Amino acid sequence: MIKNNLLQRFFDGRFWALVLKEIQQILKSRQSVFLLIFPPTIQLLVFGLALSPNVDHLSLGLVDYANSAQSREFVSALIENDIFQITAAPTNETQLQQKVRNGQLTAGLIIPPNFDRDLNQGSSAEVQVFIDGVDANTAGIANGYLNQIVNHYNQQKNAVFNTLPIESQSRFLYNPGLTSSWFFVPGVIGVVLTLTGSLISSITVIREKDVGTLEQLLMTPASSGEILLAKIVPLFILLMGDVLIASAMGRFIFHLPFRGNFLIFYLLSGLYVFVSIGLGILLATLSRTQQQVVLTSFFFNAPIIQLSGAIAPIESMPKFFQILSWFDPLRHYVAIARSLVLKGVALEALFPNIIALCLCAAFLLTVSIRRFRSQLN
Amino acid sequence: MGLKRILSQAKKELAQFSRDRLTVALALVLPLGMLLIYGYAIRLETKNIPLSIQDFDNSPLSRSYVERLFATNQFIPTPLAGTSPLSSLDQGTAKATIVIPPTFAEDVAAGNGKVQALIDGTDVNNARVIQNSVRAVTNFFSQTLPNVQPPEGIRARVRIWFNPGREEALYIVPGIFGVVFWVFPSMLAAIAVVREKEQGTAIQVYASDLSATEWLLGKGLAYWLVAIAEALVVMGVSFLLFHLRLQTNPIPLLVGTAIYLAAAVSFGLFIGARGGNQNAAVQGTAILGFLTSFLLSGFIYRLENIPFPLSLISNIIPARYYILLTRDAFVRGSGWRSIWYVPIVVGIMGLILFRAATKSMKKMQLSE
Repeated sequence: MIKNNLLQRFFDGRFWALVLKEIQQILKSRQSVFLLIFPPTIQLLVFGLALSPNVDHLSLGLVDYANSAQSREFVSALIENDIFQITAAPTNETQLQQKVRNGQLTAGLIIPPNFDRDLNQGSSAEVQVFIDGVDANTAGIANGYLNQIVNHYNQQKNAVFNTLPIESQSRFLYNPGLTSSWFFVPGVIGVVLTLTGSLISSITVIREKDVGTLEQLLMTPASSGEILLAKIVPLFILLMGDVLIASAMGRFIFHLPFRGNFLIFYLLSGLYVFVSIGLGILLATLSRTQQQVVLTSFFFNAPIIQLSGAIAPIESMPKFFQILSWFDPLRHYVAIARSLVLKGVALEALFPNIIALCLCAAFLLTVSIRRFRSQLN
Repeated sequence: MGLKRILSQAKKELAQFSRDRLTVALALVLPLGMLLIYGYAIRLETKNIPLSIQDFDNSPLSRSYVERLFATNQFIPTPLAGTSPLSSLDQGTAKATIVIPPTFAEDVAAGNGKVQALIDGTDVNNARVIQNSVRAVTNFFSQTLPNVQPPEGIRARVRIWFNPGREEALYIVPGIFGVVFWVFPSMLAAIAVVREKEQGTAIQVYASDLSATEWLLGKGLAYWLVAIAEALVVMGVSFLLFHLRLQTNPIPLLVGTAIYLAAAVSFGLFIGARGGNQNAAVQGTAILGFLTSFLLSGFIYRLENIPFPLSLISNIIPARYYILLTRDAFVRGSGWRSIWYVPIVVGIMGLILFRAATKSMKKMQLSE
């Protein structure tokens, strides 16, 4: 059996000589070292900082035809908690509408001239609001906030008579401050491992193909399995260094809580590193040149990242894509990372994801090794 | 500068490009694939949120409250995974659990009923949406109870403009154009330049009477045409699949897209001219171009949310401006009035990139 052979040879000198050669080659090539350190750091920083779904400081334009103490009180309640911010006070409705139309304002509020009279008569006074719906998500949240503020204001005004009999109290678990980087960073660690792992492993394989040194290697007594393993082991070691860098950045820059066991997180990240290396070797066997490798890796990585839930929630995708995402190894890693970093759940809760990752790693490594070998022979 | 030489250079480039079957296929399939994946898979607001209920009261009142929660179709009932209200959240099967206390019906009769919503805060955006909708449903339910007068006071009549149904595809798909039309044209152009550098054929340029500028213009022209073909395919497919419709006259979109594609090609030429080898060049465009147009352009979340040092960078990302233009063309529809500056800004950026590309090609000429 080849497997037994591999295991035996794992401990003999020739194999480690190969590994040493690979590590030296990676470290010698400035580009690879650069690729191992620079892009992951930048990606993590930019993703973590740039993606923020916060909806606040929305620019609001106001036309207050009533211009009374009551209308001003309502306006100040509206802008009290910085969700809306008055940035324009045009003199009439047409001007206000124009500004929303051009995208200069996110929302417009019109208080009618008979505002006071309606309120004092005990009936309700109606104010008009337009919201720029170009950004559907922001518009929805802005609308929700607006209704909340108005309700709250009404309840406060006639507190004694008219409090609603049911109140809902919300508690946010795992991320009580709703810090958006806590959501993105664990996922992005997975994204970074996917991109870096697949790119570097595919390049190390394809480079030898390109330059023709693979044939030379074949003439050595090492078997093709050994050659490949010797390529995988050093990459694995270096990528595990990437995991450490990324975790440290998560901890110290983004203040992620890491509520679960870090060792388990680290080991499961190692499992995912195998997946990304397997993917990279597979890509290398699918292409002939470095350009093609980069193009095909783009072709695979974009859907892997998008369907993983690292950036947009899986539950909101159409059914077909939700099912497809079960076959996405990154989805399972992201689920594991978020659970261990934010929720601190026990290992048992992660078993389905761990099994899926194991299957993925086994599948990718076997297929890619087989293809690699058949290409050599 | 010879127009003829530029044209023949472009022709040669196109002939070479069309011979490389895999690259041609990727040039068309990759943008389409990205359109499909982003177009369908990026939805920020969850519609069918799995929700668990722990109803300790189990009275007619609490049951009708629960019914009301699910009547909105925003939530999908999910059984509790264990005995604790947190069990479903820990396992990730539900995004929120509503806990109704045993004294719920009595408390409501006394005027101070409470329900507790335990919300998974992992996904910050959805956590907010869930909180808002639980609150809205609860208020609405409260108001339908007997003996409760609807709260008097101010009523806001809200109208959502441009996209009253709040379809997210209308926001996402025009944004995808900004990413796809930047990444792929630049990648192809970068590969084209760098390949010749690596194969050594670029040096022949210096031996001929073709100047570096002409050489780059010829290549640029070829890939600009390829990019236009890509853009037509991607836009055509998204008309069919995502029901995009032009809201205004098409001229700003056409002019803006042509200029944007030219800027993208210039970016590719620049990276290609600068990159030491094709690997670095391709990765440079793939990672740099993709990351910036994806993250710093306002494609997913509002530009205003990008924090300080990054927000400076986002000012020099052409995609940021182009996305304003596509969103205007397909959703807002205010025309030149609000986006007149976009073609100018993007055009200037393209020119700077092209100038930088010719400069580094010339520098190479001297050193070699």
